[in-house]
Amino acid sequence: MRDVVITAVGLRCAAGSTPGLPDRSWGRPDPDGASLGVPLVARVDGVGEHVDFPDDRKGALAWAAAADAMVGAPAGGRRGVWLGTGLSSLTPDELVRDLYPHLRDGRFDRKALARDLDPDHPAPRRHLPERVTQVIAAAYGAHVAETSFSACAAAAMSIAEAARAVARGDVDMALAGGHDAMIHPIGLLSFVVLGALSTTVARPFDRRRDGFLIGEGAAVLRLEAESDARARGAPILARWLGAGTSVDAHNVTAPHPDGHGAALAMTRALRDAGLTPADVDYVNAHGTGTPVGDRAESLAIRRVLGDVPVSSFKGAVGHTVAAAGAVELALCLACFRDGLLPGTVGLEEPDPECPANVLVANVAKRPRVILSNSFGFGGQNCAVVIGAP
Amino acid sequence: MRPVSLVAASLFCPAGIGANGLGPAAPGPVPGFAPHAHGVPRKHLKTMTRAVQLGCAAVYAALEDWPTWRMVPAERRGLYVGASPQQGDAEDIEPALQAAGTPFTLGGFAERGVPMIPPLWLVKGLSNNILGYSSAQFDFQGDNGNWCDGGHGGSVALTNAVHAVAEGRVDLAVAGGADALVGAEALFGAPCAEGAAFLVLVAGEVGKTRVTAGLPTVEGAERDLGELGAAGVPIAIARQWLAGLLEVRAGGIHLFRD
Repeated sequence: MRDVVITAVGLRCAAGSTPGLPDRSWGRPDPDGASLGVPLVARVDGVGEHVDFPDDRKGALAWAAAADAMVGAPAGGRRGVWLGTGLSSLTPDELVRDLYPHLRDGRFDRKALARDLDPDHPAPRRHLPERVTQVIAAAYGAHVAETSFSACAAAAMSIAEAARAVARGDVDMALAGGHDAMIHPIGLLSFVVLGALSTTVARPFDRRRDGFLIGEGAAVLRLEAESDARARGAPILARWLGAGTSVDAHNVTAPHPDGHGAALAMTRALRDAGLTPADVDYVNAHGTGTPVGDRAESLAIRRVLGDVPVSSFKGAVGHTVAAAGAVELALCLACFRDGLLPGTVGLEEPDPECPANVLVANVAKRPRVILSNSFGFGGQNCAVVIGAP
Repeated sequence: MRPVSLVAASLFCPAGIGANGLGPAAPGPVPGFAPHAHGVPRKHLKTMTRAVQLGCAAVYAALEDWPTWRMVPAERRGLYVGASPQQGDAEDIEPALQAAGTPFTLGGFAERGVPMIPPLWLVKGLSNNILGYSSAQFDFQGDNGNWCDGGHGGSVALTNAVHAVAEGRVDLAVAGGADALVGAEALFGAPCAEGAAFLVLVAGEVGKTRVTAGLPTVEGAERDLGELGAAGVPIAIARQWLAGLLEVRAGGIHLFRD
């Protein structure tokens, strides 16, 4: 197995288009959200369109992130693309154009709906989750293209698989990350009916937390063998140290109340990295701001990693859903760069029921090892560990 | 790297279920499929799409075919799935759309329709539901993955499962795919079908069939059954396994008919 490093990153999130650190100005009112009673969303500004992704915001985000990650890439070699993505929920246009006309007497005429769906229309193709991966793979000459669909753990799962492929020597270079964009009424509706969104502001690990802030974004990391990167003098943003996955095996929508699956993932990630809990300087928590999820994760962190400093980016950049593992790992690179452990935006009154050492304010300290958590519906968990360059 | 062995497989395809699925068949649904009769808990049926029901039944059947799985600790059991995303069933939002009134407006939909939408509408459409439900049902807590790669989804799941066993992340992997594409002919431009198949892979030399990490796909096989999406490759392999056609050769399973 070869050692793996991260040599470039492309990022599109509410924090900006290059790695940055959370700031309280990122959450703001949005008219789309307001129509369904969602006061705040974390939208990405300046998303361009791409000819291959008309009407597909997450595709455009991923394309832009991948292009950034390819700047300075070595020519040739065996390449692969691993991306995580989520439900491309129906847009309002699709609802009105494709579904509503086929509603007859309160029932859908499914035969008419199927007949009228034009395979050449962008909408059906937009709903093929592998399409973004394939377009990016074709553009950069990749012979491997895999699309993880593991809910909010999808991007982290993709990055972990990509790192293993580079370590094995299956590919010389991997583009790995995730993308998602559900900030439109129907996307928001999905979470509204679940009661998962905050009715005020996101407050991860806070006593008053009541749900998450929806975000959108994409991040793509470039992974290479360390020997290859060093041989050509490439900049190294971080060392890939390991990953661990698990399943709660408990409930499709609710985490194990004691964080059992989360703890398993973190333990496996440490084992994969060959590290002990004391080696970890900072944990980027999944920390969505939901009452049950934050408590379960904090219990797991305390059990596995003790008093390690923890924070969540989701109060600042929102929950970017399937992209979260990649967007937040990209932001972790900035922690190495800037020598900072970021505080948790939205956290004012730490909940004593969440026993982890959650940071309210920024701490000036250059971390050596960061562990990042991603947990998804379905009980899928993924923890990844990266090291300072 | 550890050796990996294929020890069991399940099959649900338009030709039938298990050994009954080996013959020819026209594209279409799986005949005789009744989810609760194939191990899918009744309490979950309303929150499962057809593809998820098929997938969960196929996981159950694969494990039934190799009862020794219970000897493997829960934390060493892995589940690897290829499956398409399912839009939340359109029928579930019919009442909400109806309540929105005519002409349709988002405002009317938000005011009168949203309260009528079932809370699990989103969850029902998640692609990783087979993994979520089956891992809970059989207590699989190990390494895992779920992939949406169209017709390659099942192949990707199998390949990554073999890697996971070979590299020691799990000792037992259940891997395969499921899809239910009947009615989607306009999108695929071809006759569509439904089905699911899962293989049981274990560490070590067990039985006669070894699998290498570079598990090949079965190109062009089983096309007579119709477009099977992520289930296509697992069904092709399961049919050959159940028919006793898989051969052990240097380099792993030989999947192609010479």
